[in-house]
Amino acid sequence: MKDWSLKWMFICLLCFLPLAMYLHLISGQIEISFSSYFDSILNFDSKNTSQVLVREFRIPRLFMAIMAGAGLSLSGMFMQTLFKNPLAGPYVLGINSGASLLIALSLMTGVQFFQSNFGLIGTALIGAFAAGLLMMLIAQRLKSQITLLLVGLMFGSFTSAIVSILESFAGAESLKSYTMWSMGSLQQVEFGQLGIILLIFTSGIVASFLLVKPLNMLVIGEKSAALLGLPIKSIRMFVLLLTALFAGLITAFCGPIAFVGIAIPNLTRILFQTTNHRYLIIGNMLIGAIFLLLTDAFIQVLEGHLSIPLNALTSIIGAPFVVFLLIRKLR
Amino acid sequence: MIRITRLSIGYSKELLSADNLVLAAGKVYALVGRNGIGKSTFIQTISGIQKQLAGEIAIMEKSIHGLSPMEIAETIALVDTRFEGVEYLQVKDYLALGRAPFTDAFGRMDSKDWRIVEEVALDLGIQHLLEKNTDQISDGERQLCSVGRAFVQETPVILLDEPTAFLDYINRKKLLELLVRLAREKNKCILLSTHDLDLCLDQKVPFMLAAHGTLSIHNTLSKEAIIESMS
Repeated sequence: MKDWSLKWMFICLLCFLPLAMYLHLISGQIEISFSSYFDSILNFDSKNTSQVLVREFRIPRLFMAIMAGAGLSLSGMFMQTLFKNPLAGPYVLGINSGASLLIALSLMTGVQFFQSNFGLIGTALIGAFAAGLLMMLIAQRLKSQITLLLVGLMFGSFTSAIVSILESFAGAESLKSYTMWSMGSLQQVEFGQLGIILLIFTSGIVASFLLVKPLNMLVIGEKSAALLGLPIKSIRMFVLLLTALFAGLITAFCGPIAFVGIAIPNLTRILFQTTNHRYLIIGNMLIGAIFLLLTDAFIQVLEGHLSIPLNALTSIIGAPFVVFLLIRKLR
Repeated sequence: MIRITRLSIGYSKELLSADNLVLAAGKVYALVGRNGIGKSTFIQTISGIQKQLAGEIAIMEKSIHGLSPMEIAETIALVDTRFEGVEYLQVKDYLALGRAPFTDAFGRMDSKDWRIVEEVALDLGIQHLLEKNTDQISDGERQLCSVGRAFVQETPVILLDEPTAFLDYINRKKLLELLVRLAREKNKCILLSTHDLDLCLDQKVPFMLAAHGTLSIHNTLSKEAIIESMS
């Protein structure tokens, strides 16, 4: 794609992002004046209900929508480039399942270590990374792209079976908290937690941009990239760590959110028509954030009447899109 | 350019051995031999991917196993297996990847890097493909692009593993002529494995013959002699 049309695309997306943020903020059930939004951050009054509402619910939810959308899309993009497979993603390759399994273990077996804030992030990260590592080891023995996806799905079924067994043993309280978590929600984060999540997220983004050149080289395959002097083993680990960081972080705080990680990177590639990761990283972040903001805004609008789990809605939109990709790519 | 001494290659068991062979700069060598004799293994070994069982391969008087991956990328370019093309990867960006060993940590290309890409495209007659996507050109064009990427890498040594396998007769002939010309003009040492005996004989390239477990170099050899020593 020509450089100028890429630039136009970015400008459009950049204009659309604040609009999506605005829509997300006003889609809540209670109408809140603009001044409350600013006051809740700049000069917070804990006795003012609407300010509390903004600070404790709307702002965290807004940021989580942006970070979850951008982060999951990025981790999907990493997987797709690393495995040279447009149908890879944190969900299909079992990265989410790994995180879910460890979170289920920590929520339902009541091991103390896992129950702090950092414990939760750490748990999800370890689960996500271990699952990624396992997939990588298996991928090296496989030739077919489809086989790897099937292995990922098998891994997903396997972990969800273990989770079911855990559920049957779990007490009512921990079962409830796991079930709530597994539905996926952007409303589980408090204002005070935002700082640390933002910090981890931003460092992930910075690290992503450092990987632009290796990722661009990986497009033509690991072997060719290695012959161009790329230290393939360490790059592979770095990419996997970053994937696990994003997928694990988001999964820990928002629960599993399906299909964003597989659908958005493909959408971005189709829209931008490039393999240059400098553009793909920015594009994935913008499109992912906008997509999740709008999806979650829709959920908020309906919230008075019915509550749709986020995970269900992203699946309803994402699954047909992935089928479309399958038909288009593999036939 | 490439000096081979008491070399033994293979996986655990020896496939081929070679001693006292020298491949000179400015020439194309045709590596011929029957299927499974170890041609690919030999190419993989020279390119440093596969470790030799014994002996020494030196490129410009330096043992390749003393070279770092980066130094290898600056010395040897390999065109192996068929490049299938990548969706949305433009030919010019594919060629530009050949500059990867020389660009900065962000892979930024300066005007000199782009000039090399354009020159190579001109040499190979693929300048009209630069803006096209690598998955939307013909097999022959894609093969030329792979060769182009190796040339963009500007290494003194270029290895090609059966580059003509998927090409029609005209394209095979063109590619071989091109390699011979570029090897001479740019003083490169080019080694390609092939089954196209006739084309190589037409171009009068020296043969590197893999037969009965040994490698040998022959500057002039008739077709009959090659076939006889292979069987």
